[in-house]
Amino acid sequence: MTHTESTALELRDVPASLLHDGYARETAADRPGVAQPVPQRPVPNQPWNRILIGAVVLFALLLGGWEWYWRAFGATPGIRNSEGLWAIQRRRLDAGEGDATVLLGASRVYFDVQLPVWEKLAGKRPIQLAIEGTSPLGFLEDIAADPNFHGRVIVGVAPQIFFTGFTYRGRVLKYSKTESPSQRIGQWLSMRTIERAFAFYDPDFALATVLKRQPWPDRPGRPAQMDVRKLAVTESDRATHIWSKVENDPAYREIARNVWRQEFVPSDDDPPPAKLEQMITDEIARAAKVVATLRSRNIPVLFVRPPSSGPFLEYENTLWPRAKTWDALLAATGAPGIHFEDYPEMQGMELPEWSHLTRADAERFTEALYRIVTRDFWPQ
Amino acid sequence: MVFNSLTFVVFFACVLLLHNLPLGWTTRKVNLLIASYLFYAAWNPPFVILLWVSTVIDWYAAQGLVKAQRQSARHAWMLLSVVANLGMLGYFKYGQFLLDNFTALMNALGVAYQPAHYDIVLPVGISFYTFATMSYTLDVYLRRAAPARNLLDYALFVTFFPHLVAGPIMRPTELVPQFAEPRRATADQLRFGLALMTLGLFNKVVLADSFLSTVAEKVYDADKIPGALDAWAATLAFSGQIFCDFAGYSTTAIGAALCLGFAMPDNFRFPYAAVGFSDFWRRWHITLSSWLRDYLYIPLGGNRHGERRTYAALMTTMLLGGLWHGANWTFVAWGGLHGFYLGVERALRARFANYTPGPFALLLLGLLTYALVNLTWVFFRAKTFGKAWLVLNGMAGMNASAKPILTTFYLVCVAVIVGGIVGTHWYMRTRTLESVIARAHPAALTCVWALLAFAIVIAQGSGNAFIYFQF
Repeated sequence: MTHTESTALELRDVPASLLHDGYARETAADRPGVAQPVPQRPVPNQPWNRILIGAVVLFALLLGGWEWYWRAFGATPGIRNSEGLWAIQRRRLDAGEGDATVLLGASRVYFDVQLPVWEKLAGKRPIQLAIEGTSPLGFLEDIAADPNFHGRVIVGVAPQIFFTGFTYRGRVLKYSKTESPSQRIGQWLSMRTIERAFAFYDPDFALATVLKRQPWPDRPGRPAQMDVRKLAVTESDRATHIWSKVENDPAYREIARNVWRQEFVPSDDDPPPAKLEQMITDEIARAAKVVATLRSRNIPVLFVRPPSSGPFLEYENTLWPRAKTWDALLAATGAPGIHFEDYPEMQGMELPEWSHLTRADAERFTEALYRIVTRDFWPQ
Repeated sequence: MVFNSLTFVVFFACVLLLHNLPLGWTTRKVNLLIASYLFYAAWNPPFVILLWVSTVIDWYAAQGLVKAQRQSARHAWMLLSVVANLGMLGYFKYGQFLLDNFTALMNALGVAYQPAHYDIVLPVGISFYTFATMSYTLDVYLRRAAPARNLLDYALFVTFFPHLVAGPIMRPTELVPQFAEPRRATADQLRFGLALMTLGLFNKVVLADSFLSTVAEKVYDADKIPGALDAWAATLAFSGQIFCDFAGYSTTAIGAALCLGFAMPDNFRFPYAAVGFSDFWRRWHITLSSWLRDYLYIPLGGNRHGERRTYAALMTTMLLGGLWHGANWTFVAWGGLHGFYLGVERALRARFANYTPGPFALLLLGLLTYALVNLTWVFFRAKTFGKAWLVLNGMAGMNASAKPILTTFYLVCVAVIVGGIVGTHWYMRTRTLESVIARAHPAALTCVWALLAFAIVIAQGSGNAFIYFQF
């Protein structure tokens, strides 16, 4: 083959002679139909040692400043609620802990059930598989199909998530099934190095997230929505509690409430009433099916409705009234349930942003929950 | 493993350390080979077997080609390599696609055919390493190159981790000779290699993953009808995303190889400054377009058999090039559109052979090229033709019921980042990165390097796979 076979694929617009510099070089595009030679990779003439040292020092200063800023904001180094972290807990069911008590649900079970308190009372920690903004039914179906699992399940019900099937973090399940060795190693390394050292390493402080929440002008017809801010602090086994800043900083608490307030205002993205009714019916039917499967395998299931308060509770009661949702769920599944409104020991709890308990009340709630469970449903 | 992961940072540090120990050259090459297998196995260990199969078949095919006396025997060895590699590619990448299309055809003909369900996992990078190994036997068959002197050098050529899973697609003559003599990076090669890796990861982690991908997802993956602004913003965002993702990978790979003392070829030359589509394909994924030219377009006849054959060869090459990217008819449409553009350009060049555009006309033609490239990206990004038509209708302002989708923040991201990319490409159109760096003040380079690294860290990328891994 020769250059005379140049074709439309090889037409040139920029002759090499017009290139502006002494680093001009041909690519395979310039050499049709021949063996390609060893590539040239020149290093630009610069004092690279000085540049590297300077860049490392400046990088360290910038990063130090960024870390200082977020620590001053109230953040501390902590474990990231990542897909890999969830996968570690899910794997425990298949690695000899199939008889465990498993916690499923959205953020309320995740933040409000305190694993150390449960462990103190029961002698063993439950496995925390609840994850924020995500219906637990997919996970319940997953463990129902897992022959290694023969423990007990507590399923949290946050009405606006459970009865719509909303799955903000549903990907964790697929991730746990397909996690590569590289990802596992990365998770192991991250938990033992970066996450333990840096407060800024939190999704709420990521560059794009920080820029996105700046006060950009609204586009006509598409006002910006505030994303949920950092609300909790997590440990390596996903034991989680509300972030102290939400409890103690009135301004930050107000931001968290304002995020929820957006939910309470009707928007174009809301499903119409008939569709919402259908969603509730579908999710209850889905729950009944999976509970029947679990029952056939002698696996006890207990539904729990953790507390909410103020405008959030009003919003939930308006769109997902108890009779049509919670009561219907228990009736359809035949499973027992604990609704916080039914138990005096679960009253008077403090929820700084109406949806999650303070750390102290989360401990009180967990103790009450454990005692009710063992007294009324699963006697020891 | 992916370059943008903590695992790779540790892996690469270990590889650099091992490569710079006072060990024999053969030992260091064995280290690189084992490291490359570990790099690949970190995704899915059993698929290393496929890599071995491809390596061994082409090694023996090339040996057979050299020893064969008769032309028919040479043909047979060459065919063994091509059939084995394309067979593997066909089974893993196109098996389900072929089955789905066969089923659809049978059903259309009234035959109630329902195949048994089977899941095929696509081995990462299979399209890249099968093309690399095929180029080895094809170059030997075409007498362009001698076979490698030993299996270790050849296996390392196939497996060398910087290019293994997403290119640049290397030819044996580019890499095998580099394994002949002991290599270590000079101190400046190491530093410049690290700078290139930083630049590549900034493109991927910050620009592609943190900002642009979300914009494209909000329009292409949502169940919403886009208007003109949203459809264009999402498509422009995808044009930036795919460039930053793929060119970012290539730049990181080139930097990683340079840190070890090896040179890899350019894969991108500021493609959004292309004027015309032949120019675009000289700048975009250069190692694939030149591979297709050398091993498909030219053997199909190239431009040696008259205009009609030339257009046919051009279109066939681009259609198959589209299919190479993914087992979906939308990719074929993407390739077909590029083939059509190249054909029209060829006809126009013949019709206006003496036309030389001035600077303003050049700019307009460049912008026209970029706009037309964006139309092709719609088919590349959309998962179905339905979605592609919806976005194209939106781009034409024909979606009457559209409501705004993207907030101001996302529109600003697209304007700033994609505007910055296109402007940079235009400035760099007749320059190289090295020439600009050579002329820059060292203090400026220091600041830029530190800022890029800082942005990578505070972006907190989640280790998303590179788009081209799926191909």
